[in-house]
Order: sequence, then structure tokens, then C-alpha cells
Amino acid sequence: MADSAGTTLMDLITADPTTASTASASNSAPSSAAAAPATQPTALGKPAGEKKSKRASLMQIQNDTISAAKAALNPVRTNIMPQKQKKKPVSYSQLARSIHELAATSDQKRSQRQLVHHVFPKLAVYNSVDPSLAPSLLMLNQQCEDRSVLRYVYYYLARILSDTGTQGLSTGGGIPTPNWDALADIDAVGGVTRADVVPRIVEQLTAEAKNADVEFHARRLQSLKALTYAPSTNSEVLSRLYEIVFGILEKVGDAPHKRKKGIIGSKGGDRESIIRSNLQYAALSALRRLPLDPGNPAFLHRAVQGISFADPVAVRHGLEIVSELAAKDPYAVAMALGKHVQPGGALLDVLHLHDVLARVSLARLCHTISRARVLDDRPDIRSQFNSVLYQLLLDPSERVCFEAILCVLGKYDNTERTEERAAGWYRLTREILKLPEVLGKEGSKDKSQKNKRPQPLIKLVMRRLESSFRSFSRPVLHAAARVVHEMGKSRAAAFALGLQDVDEGVPVNTFAEAAELHDSDESAHPESIRRTSSISNGTGGRDTIASLLASLMEVVRTTVACECVYVRAMVIKALIWMQSPIDSFDELESIIASELSDPAWPAALLNDILLTLHARFKASPDMAVTLLEIARIFATKVPGKVDADVLQLLWKTCLVGAGPDGKHKALEAVTIVLDLPPPQPGSMLGLTSVDRVSASDPKSALALQRLVQAAVWFLGENANYAASEYAWESATPPGTALMMLDADKMVAAASSRNPTLAGALTRLQRCAFSGSWEIRIIAAQALTTMAIRSGEPFRLQIYEFLHALAQGGLQSQFSDMHLSNGEDQGASGTGLGVLLSPMIRVLDEMYRAQDDLIKEIRNHDNAKKEWSDDELKKLYETHERLLDLVSLFCYVPRAKYLPLGPISCLASCVWGVPLGGNPFNVSFLDPKGLGHGMVQRILSLSEGIALRVKTIRDILCAKLVDVYRTRHNISVSTGLSDPAVATGISDLVYESKPAPAEPDTLDDDLVNAWAANLGDDGLWGNNAPAMNRVNEFLAGAGTDAPEVDDEHIISRPSVSYDDMWAKTLLESSELEEDDARSLGSSSPDSTGSVETSISSHFGGMSYPSLFSSKPTTYGASQTMEKEPANRGGPSIYESLVSPIREETSSYSSPGMQRFESFENPLAGRGSQSFGSQDDEQVSSGNMRFGTALYDFTAGGEDELNLTAGEEVEIEYEVDGWFYVKKKRPGRDGKMAGLVPVLYVDQS
Amino acid sequence: MILAVLFANSEGNILIERFHGVPAEERLHWRSFLVKLGADNLKGVKNEELLVACHKSVYIVYTVLGDVSIYVVGKDEYDELALSEVIFVITSAVKDVCGKPPTERVFLDKYGRICLCLDEIVWKGYLENTEKDRIRRLTRMKPPTEF
Repeated sequence: MADSAGTTLMDLITADPTTASTASASNSAPSSAAAAPATQPTALGKPAGEKKSKRASLMQIQNDTISAAKAALNPVRTNIMPQKQKKKPVSYSQLARSIHELAATSDQKRSQRQLVHHVFPKLAVYNSVDPSLAPSLLMLNQQCEDRSVLRYVYYYLARILSDTGTQGLSTGGGIPTPNWDALADIDAVGGVTRADVVPRIVEQLTAEAKNADVEFHARRLQSLKALTYAPSTNSEVLSRLYEIVFGILEKVGDAPHKRKKGIIGSKGGDRESIIRSNLQYAALSALRRLPLDPGNPAFLHRAVQGISFADPVAVRHGLEIVSELAAKDPYAVAMALGKHVQPGGALLDVLHLHDVLARVSLARLCHTISRARVLDDRPDIRSQFNSVLYQLLLDPSERVCFEAILCVLGKYDNTERTEERAAGWYRLTREILKLPEVLGKEGSKDKSQKNKRPQPLIKLVMRRLESSFRSFSRPVLHAAARVVHEMGKSRAAAFALGLQDVDEGVPVNTFAEAAELHDSDESAHPESIRRTSSISNGTGGRDTIASLLASLMEVVRTTVACECVYVRAMVIKALIWMQSPIDSFDELESIIASELSDPAWPAALLNDILLTLHARFKASPDMAVTLLEIARIFATKVPGKVDADVLQLLWKTCLVGAGPDGKHKALEAVTIVLDLPPPQPGSMLGLTSVDRVSASDPKSALALQRLVQAAVWFLGENANYAASEYAWESATPPGTALMMLDADKMVAAASSRNPTLAGALTRLQRCAFSGSWEIRIIAAQALTTMAIRSGEPFRLQIYEFLHALAQGGLQSQFSDMHLSNGEDQGASGTGLGVLLSPMIRVLDEMYRAQDDLIKEIRNHDNAKKEWSDDELKKLYETHERLLDLVSLFCYVPRAKYLPLGPISCLASCVWGVPLGGNPFNVSFLDPKGLGHGMVQRILSLSEGIALRVKTIRDILCAKLVDVYRTRHNISVSTGLSDPAVATGISDLVYESKPAPAEPDTLDDDLVNAWAANLGDDGLWGNNAPAMNRVNEFLAGAGTDAPEVDDEHIISRPSVSYDDMWAKTLLESSELEEDDARSLGSSSPDSTGSVETSISSHFGGMSYPSLFSSKPTTYGASQTMEKEPANRGGPSIYESLVSPIREETSSYSSPGMQRFESFENPLAGRGSQSFGSQDDEQVSSGNMRFGTALYDFTAGGEDELNLTAGEEVEIEYEVDGWFYVKKKRPGRDGKMAGLVPVLYVDQS
Repeated sequence: MILAVLFANSEGNILIERFHGVPAEERLHWRSFLVKLGADNLKGVKNEELLVACHKSVYIVYTVLGDVSIYVVGKDEYDELALSEVIFVITSAVKDVCGKPPTERVFLDKYGRICLCLDEIVWKGYLENTEKDRIRRLTRMKPPTEF
């Protein structure tokens, strides 16, 4: 491919076409050998070694240039293109030399022909022009008369001006050229740089652009044009341009120019007016390329003048400038336009101008002015512009009509506010188009009579869109779908704001009639859009908005059959936006399901649709469940193509946004994927059924597996949030469950108490049995998370389940769910025994400690013993130790979490001043005596006054006894009635921070507020790529080049899903702040669904893109004072980096190692940091490794020497090069750099 | 803004390209994206039948003319329909220069003139001249409206 590129472009610079391919293919002539590979960079799929040849070719060009320059200095008067050379490609030096020489003989016809037919066209192939050619070009410019030569000269002068010169990169494309300036610097002969020639070029072009000689007319226009190519950073050229442009307009702009109908753009007219019109055109074209000057009245004045020029292109430029200025200063523009907008004015002439872009600019201009708030006191002006805008809805060009629709809808750029969009929908559905009288008068034809009847905008628009959807042109279909998409956005905004009268069952003609009644003030107040809406006495048989929309959507749906996948994508986006929360989405669901079965969909487009779902959710949070259902189709149908990050983000936001009522359904929608039967490889049955996963090839099967893992993890993380069940808020005392050890009773109690959590539990239990090995692990992790976070009886239920799972034997009970996956599940029945034991151990410890505490309490109570300082201290230490242990498995709010059960809070409060920041926040503390005790304790600590231990102990015992008695239903009141204590509390409480406000009532509001602000409150960490993608998408931004290779899921750049959470949510300081502010019991930020150490830990393991990045944020915050992690020994991550790798041998050893460190939680505190054990290795979750196949010698500064056999880490790939890191520095001391892809064997 | 105009031959080699406002490091991606798009979709497409694609908020309209495929990339006011106008102007100009839908050979023979036409059609990221006659006059160093 690369070679043929060389062939074709070389053809061009080969004088004799017929032999071109052979000549360049064989490269027979050594002198020109280098030119052929020089063309390769424009070709695609260039080979790895190409960089070399490019360099070589640049060297060749350099040599050529130098020799050309030498030749120019010592002109040899020979024909440089002799006949015999015709069969060889012409080298750059030959071209350059011939320009120098032909410039000297430019008066000869032969030279001119040579230039026009051979030299200049061939030179065009190179992507920049050597500044050393400029003197010859300027010479030609002055001496040559030939028009064709001159046209090329202006072309090349413009290109020299436009070249930024820094990298020799220009907009030209073609064969790459060296950096001429750098070349000139090293050129001993005395090269010419841009800096040398640009002033001369500018000087000459300026002189020509000011030349008013009629004979010079055409050249004047071209030199002005060439001047505009100077980069806008060149202020000197800019000021000259302004001077020239305004100078010309000064002379020709003010002349009587009232054009007559039919004259626009047509030939004829007197010589003088044509010259004036040409100059007007040239000046406005140049003005269009100059930076806008919003404050400058002259600028505005000239642009407004341009609207009534005779040249249609000039009119377009004038309108474009004015419309851009209007966005900045609508008032000034409206005033300057003055009479132009009135009947017979220039703006109305534009309606009939045969220039689509001019009318597009007109629509934008009208929109800007008619919506400008600064013109609130000039409703007449606004309505005039509004009326022109509405007339553009009838424009024959789709481009113009659609622009007008978008303007009506309130879409201008991507920065509109919801209110504007909502008002746009309101306008579209309520306003009437009435053609102004002047148009009606023009003819008495029936047509104009018919048009004169006022028409509801919505009807016009619907009719137009429906006819566009019948078009065969793909751009038209795409644009029409995009318009519907924008309509959906405005409609959603209107619904979201709850605009009055969005009732779509009202016949649209009603508004038309109503509008006629209000004829006098019709459209006098474009913003007072609700005036006609009160009348809704419509009868049947007439169009309602709903019926119009329904028929439009029918046509839109049929467009899904379009062959072009981009059109289909736009249609689906439109359907998603037009879907309202109340509609049934069955149809949309089946459309999407059948669409996704088409393998032609590129991954980028599918992810774009996922982002649309996200945007749709933001606009209507109440659609969370529907959207999740749709997202689920993506997950099951095209698991290999969707971006798991975006999907996760969608899950998460939808879950949060679903609100208290929808949380259960939302969780179901995400995790229903776990219930689906596993894919049958090769089976094409049920492709369109949404309840069947399709993963027909190994790649998507793998992706599906990963997605299921993600769903399991998600379930574990979020089940407690979705179920609003937290151990630290549990209403059930911890002992209750211990007392009903009968498993059946327990399950019954659990599901009656919280069906959501019970459902999630069942699902996870099944996954722990029947999934693949990876899924079983994650299911077990998820169960542990739930056990730790849930109150009883769930914890006990999971505890028992884990026990059974670890020891086997329980399987028979679940055998009906057990689907063998053909794996030998080992003696334990699940193969998870090793993994489970630490999880069970932590629960064991918690239960044991709870038992001990209760025992202690009883002992103290029975013996009427006071709690000694040491005993309390021991209690506190146990609390802390368990807390640390628990935190290894999942995130819990340390300030609230009580591993010893609610009773233990006392101990921890008394001893744990730093425990949770604000000790007032323990809401279930009996304020009667305990509050005082705590306060005393804190006070005495902080003031260094000896603690009145006695008092505290009394209170403590009282509380402990109280707990005990309550539990046993012993109604003995032992409340403290010490008035001193009571008053003391209130004093202290009021002095200190305000007590927490009733946490339970905050829940829903907070959740919603949080969900609403997801995008901009920083909670989401701006560095999260998925979020960035969403935000970029929502902002409509991005001209970034598309990624062509985004099909490679595994090599996708790492994603810091947990960074996103860890950074914003997990830092204890923030949590404490939250606690202090008492963000409520179920506030999602404290508990919702936070990345845990387990998941980040697992990130290294099997989610290359999901969680793989750096769990260190969390780990670090947890392990700051801990011993340094054990850095020796084999890294558990390294062996698990690739999910595809054979797991059989590695899975037990990392497990073992991990659990060994668990054995001794106190001594092995370092084990805590396994989340951050080895930052580099963890973070390299996506790192690929490779071995050098051959020796490679670095050819450039950024390249790296390689010795065959050397092992490297591959950081990323770019254009056929790997950026790799060596294990140890090479002989040159370099560690990292670029090497060709083909030199490395990826392992 | 018209971000790019590209001409490629049937094998996907780029013959002419004009970028405006596209950072140098993104151009390679655009090239490969567009050529891949053409390779995937342009087989069997009739001369001048317009195809469409979009990436983020950037639109792409492309077509085939003889042996040459033409891609136009734009954003903002240059949406798929405006780009259709642009590509129409370009194809008419190329046909005008080459006399018919060009073979690659003919296209390369007229390479210089096509570059000049393009210079009159797309000027610093904006569409300039649209009329065939006018473009022809301007590439021959004559004023836009003859007197």
C-alpha cells in the first residue's frame, strides 16, 4: 500500500506518465532513489521501519535543496528538464532549480509553459514551500505577464505566508518536506529563511493590493487574498490587512449600491459597477478572515453594508460576520441593521438569495437578535427578526430549514440552558407562522394565498421532517434525525422544567385560532409564549401534538432501516431523546436489540449511544430504570464493544438517580444480566431477543465475562445502598439474629425486612456457585462486602453461607441452580476455600468480639463491677483492630461503623476521641447521660484535666446495663436524674458544634441533589476518563481525531474508576467533614457504593479497563503509618495482569500469599496495604510486556536501543511505535523510549 | 469551520489534503479514520452519491468521483448538509477541470489546476466560491465577475 502511494504521487512528478510506475518502483536512478519513499508518510498503515526512510528522504531533500541553492547562485543556463530525464521522477532539487532558472527567462513563452505545465503542478505535491524559492517567485510576480503563471505564483506566495514555519508543517499535505528554516540555518551556503522572505512578500502583496489601476484589477484581488493567508499571529500583516480592506471599502462600500432584483450574482452591468462589486467581494472576503473586532463600529458598519452588496459571496460573508457579532453585542447589531429587516430591506432579499450558507447565517442572526434580553424594551425589533426566522422554516434548502428549526428549538451552540431549550419546545408547539403582508401582495397566485394562512410551526416542521425522512440522501437523513434528536432534547427540557401546558393532547389548530384572536399583539412578545395556551377546547379529529409526534416518530423508526450505520445511530439517539418517561419503551427496546445484532456497528458509535443514554438520564432522572434497561441490552448484546467504564458510570448514576422508589428496580435492571443463561457459542438463535446474551466469538465471550464480573462487583458494592440497609443504621439489635439460628427463619426474616437486599443476596449466592472461577471469586468478595455492611439477619445469613461454601456440602441445597461450567470445582466444591477463609475469619472475629463484649457486660453487670480504664481501653483497641480488618475488605465509614455492634459505640466514644471526628454524631446515643459523659471526656482530655473516671464509669455502666435490660425486656428504670449533668449537657451542646439534625429525613433530597449535581460538583473527579468522555459529549465538544483502533478492548488506556471514587469519597478527612455536617444516614457519598479495597485489589486482576488503575489513593490513606509493605517475593499482581493468561497455576499461590499475611492481623499490619502493595505493579494493570526480537539501534533522541531477548514493559503504542520501559537501564543509560512495534514480541 | 478536505485514490493513498484548525498530531488519525471509512463503505457507490459519518460533533461527508474518493470534514455551521454543498462544489470543479469523473491518471495530470480550484473553494476553513464559472475564472487569474 505504501509503495503504491509512492507510485501514484510519483507519477505526478514524473514527466512521462506511461513509465512512471516502473521508474519509481525500481528506483533505478540513484540520485532520485530517495524521493520515492518520501511519499510514504501520506500513505496509511505505514510499516514500522518507515521512520528511517522518511528521515533518509528528508536528508535527500536537504541535499537537493542545498545543491539547488548552489545552482541558483551559480546559474547554469541549461534546460534542467532535458528530454532524456523525462522517464525518471523529478527530484525536488530539479524542481527548485528550474523555478530559479525559468524565473530568469520568464518572458519566453516556452519557460512559461514549462512552469505552468510541469514545474508548478509538481511542486504542489510537496507539503510546504521552500522559502528560498520566494525571490524567484517574487521575480516572476513582477516580470511575468502570463495569467496562469501568476495565479500559481500567488498560490505559492500564500503558502509561504501561511506556513507556520516551526515544523515545516502546513496545511498542504503531500510529500513531507524538511524544516526549511532549520535547513537554512545549517546551510553554509547562506540559506533563505521565512523570516528573510516574508517581509518582502508582504511588502509586494500590500503594494499590489493597494494598486487601484483597472488593468491590475484581477491581480489586486488575488494579492489581497494571498495576504490573508498570513497567520493571524502576525500583527503587522493584520494591521496592514485592516488598512487595505477598510481602504477599499471606504471607496467602494458607500457607493450607491441598491441592487435590483435579479442582478445578484449575474453577469452584466456596467464596467464600473462590476469592478466595484468585485472589490467589495474581495474586501469582505478578506474581512471575513480577519479576527472579529466586536467593539469597532467601523467593522460592524462595513459588515452590515456587505449585506446589500451585489456579489452573493460578499453578502454571505457580510451576514456571517454580522451574525457572529450579534452573538457578542446583539443590541449594536440590531441597531446597525435598522431598516434592513423591514419589508423590502436587504435581509428579506437574502431570503431569496441563492446561497445556502448566507441564509443559514441569516437564521442564526435572527435567532440571536430575537432572543436577546438586551432588546427586551424593543419587542418590535425582536418580532421582526423572529418573523424572518419563521419564514426560513419554509426555505427550500434543508440546510436552512433545519437551521431555522434548531434556532426555534433554542439550540444555538452547545451552551444553551435548560430554560432556553424548554422555551424552544414551547415555541415550536405553540407558535404560529404568519407570513407578512408584503409577501402576500407579491402575487395573487393561489399558492401564496394558501401560504398566507397562519400555520402552526409544529405542523410545518413535522411535514418538512417527514418529507426529509423520505429522502434518499444520507446526509439529509442524518441531519433530519439530528433535528429530531434536538427536538427530543428541548422536549425533555420542557418536561423537566414542568412547563405548564406541555399537554400534548391539545389540538394544534387551537393555538392558530387563538393567535388570530390576538392578532394585534401577535409575536410582539416572543417570550410571552404562554399566552395562547389557555384555550384548549379542542375537539376530536384534529391534529394534536401527540398525534403529530406519533406520526413523525413512525417515519423516524423506519429510517432505522437505512444502510448507513451513522444514520441509524443518529436515529436511535433521536428515539432515545424522544422517549418520554411515561411511554412504553418496548418498541425502542426491540429496535435497539435488533440493531445491536448487526456486527457492522463500530464500537465508537455504540459508546456514543451509551453516552446519549447518560445525557438523557441527566435530563430526566426519572427515566433511570428505562435507560438502565436499554443499557442492559448493550451489555448483553455487544459486550465486546461497549466501554465498560461508560456503562458503569451509567449504572451508577442511574442507580443514584432512580430515587428511593426506583432503586430496587434499577439494581434489578443492572444485575438481571446475571440471571441470563450463559451464551451458547456459535448459536445464532434468538439474536434479537433481549433476554439472551450473544457472544458468538471468543473475544466477546471474554468481554461478556468481564461485564458479568463488573455486574457482580457492582451488585456487591451497591446492594446496601439500593436497599438502604446499613449495619450502622440497622434497627435490629445485633443479638437478635444470634438468637434465631434457624436458617429458614432467618431467610424469611431477611426477605420480609428488605426484599431488595435479599434478592441481591440470592443472586450473589448463585453466582458464587455457578459462575466461572473469576465470577465466583468476585461473588464471594461481594458477599463479604454485603455481610460487613449489612445488619442482621443478613450478616449471619452470609456468614453461614460462606461457611458452607468454604467447606462444601451445601451445594446439594443449591443443586437446582447449579449449572456446571465444566470446571473441576475441587474438593471444596467451589474452589474458593482458600479465598474464603480470611473473609470468614473477619466475620468470626467480629462475632467473637461481640460475644465477648456481651459477656463482659454481663459480668460487670452481675458483679456490679465498674469498668476499669484498662478494660475500656481494651475494648477500644478491639474496636479499632476490627475496624482496620474490616476496612481491608470494603469501604465502611470509620466514624460510624461499629464492628462490635451498637453497644460498643460507648467504649469507642469514650476512648476514641479521634475515632470519628465528631462524637456527637452517634445518633442513637441516649443523650440523657451519655452525651455528658462523652463531652466530659473530650473536655477533660483537651484541657488536660484529670478525667472524672468515676462519673463516666457510672454512666457507662448505666448505659450498658440499660442496653442489657432493654434487650431482656426488664423494665427497671435507672435513668440518671442528676440535674447538674442534665444542664451541663445542654450548655456544652450549645456551645459546641450544633448537634446533628435528624439524619433520617435527609435521605431523599440529598440523594437527588447529589444526583442532579453529579456532573459539576467535583464529586466525580475531573480526571476520570469515563466522566471526561461524558462531559465532552454533553458539551458537544471535541474535534479530536477519532481513534481508529478502539476495537482493542484489552489495550484500552487505563481507567481510573476507583480514582474517581477514591479521591472524592474515600478520604477520611472528607468523610469526617461529611459526618460533621451530618449528611444523613443513607447519604450516598458516605455509603452509597464506594470503591473498596477489594475491588481495586481485584482491579489488578481481571478488569483491565474497569478498575485497573491506581488503588493507591485509598490504600495510602489507610496505611499511612503502617509498616512498609512487603516488597519482596513474587508480586501477586504481576502474575495476574492479563485476564487471558492461564490462571490454573497462579490462582492458588497469590491467594495463599495474600492470606498468609492475614493470619496475624496485628503483626501483619503490613498486609493491610496489599491494596497499595506495589504501586507500580498495581498501576500497571494495563501494562503489557514484551521481549525484543531483534537488536534495535536508536536513531533518534526519543528512541531506545534494544538487544534481542531483552524484556520490556510496553507502556503504549503510537503510530507503529511502542513506548517501552526496560527493566534496567541499557548501556547508554536510557530506561525508556520508542521502539518499532515489529521489534517487540508481546507476551 | 471546514476542518479538512481530502482526496484519496481507490487504494486509500492520499492525493491532496487540506487541513484547517486540526492539530498536526491529530491529522494522522483523521487520515486513517477517513480512509478506513472509505474502504469500508465506498465500494460500489455511485459517482457523487453522498455518504455521511460523524464523530463527536464533527461531521464527515464523502463520496467517490471516478477513481478518486473525496472527504470533507467540518464542524459547527458546516454540518452534514453544509458539507454536502461543499463537496458538491468540489466535485463540480473537479469534473470541470478534468472534463469528466477523473481516472487517477487524469486527476494527477490536472493536479496543479485542481489545487488552484480548491484554493478558490475552501479558503482558510470557510467555503468561498461555489459557482463553477466563477471558480474557473478565478483560477485563470480573472476577476470573479467579468467586465
